[in-house]
Amino acid sequence: MRSPVSARPPRPRTLIHPGRFNPVRIHSLRSEAGRHVRLALLPGDTLFRGLVEPLALLGIRNASMTILGGYFAELRYCVAPPDPSGQAVIAYGPPIEAGRTYMIFGNATLGKSLKGEPLVHCHAAIRTQDGSVKGGHILTDACVVSSAPIPVLVTSLDGFELRQAYDPETNIPLLQPFKAGVDE
Amino acid sequence: MSDTIRVETGSMGRVAYARIGPNEDLVLGVEKLCLAEGFRNAFVRGALGSLVDACLGTQEGHYIEVKGPAVEIVSLAGEVRSSGDGALRASLTGVVADPDGNVYGGPFVAGSNPICMTFEVTLEEWLPAR
Repeated sequence: MRSPVSARPPRPRTLIHPGRFNPVRIHSLRSEAGRHVRLALLPGDTLFRGLVEPLALLGIRNASMTILGGYFAELRYCVAPPDPSGQAVIAYGPPIEAGRTYMIFGNATLGKSLKGEPLVHCHAAIRTQDGSVKGGHILTDACVVSSAPIPVLVTSLDGFELRQAYDPETNIPLLQPFKAGVDE
Repeated sequence: MSDTIRVETGSMGRVAYARIGPNEDLVLGVEKLCLAEGFRNAFVRGALGSLVDACLGTQEGHYIEVKGPAVEIVSLAGEVRSSGDGALRASLTGVVADPDGNVYGGPFVAGSNPICMTFEVTLEEWLPAR
């Protein structure tokens, strides 16, 4: 797929979001060191379960993960075009069935949902069953690992937690870092 | 090339996670995260999010524009280095997907990649041996 090439960089666009501008632009927390774990996603597991369950056994509930490539027997993803309702700037579109898929590379964040349950936010580049290379937001509970284990490098985030919380500026819930035990 | 370090030994230090807000620049935002957390050198350990539009560099010094919104960041690797001029410089490379899921890759051009909804990034501090 080709895109316009120019001799000058395009002027960046500043989008108008539905909510009030938050003057704090970077919300960050740190820990003194990261623990690293190598996981294998096992055949038949969903991507969600294959990430969440072994990390829960290690007491890891917040992490940044790199999926190092592998085959899925089935995979669904979606993309994010402009939101026709106007409630947010963009909204996820309907699930796209990719079929038997090779995940070329994926990044995922593990945190907690609005309901307090494990949440995995994953984006990846994939080669779909029809051979086209695509990318987008991966629906992790609808992706089933094929016959070979898939390696994952995990960096745990200790001493703070990632929680989905409503973001007034964008008008959607987003993963954000919070000090452990501290509410918004 | 005289200031290029061919081999640098060191160790990993602290780990920082950030959510960077909409309309901030991807590359400059990562540099500012290092300022906020006191990192002088760091590697990206994980990153995902969306851009309004993406701008990727070419070897000829040109610019590839990928129109959104949103352009999803589907893979990203890179580092931040402190340079002798008292500045930090993030070099980020990756793959993005346009609103139809079509993918493009290359180095992210500083100042030309505004974040759409959110950008989640994990940095691990790099501590060069003295």
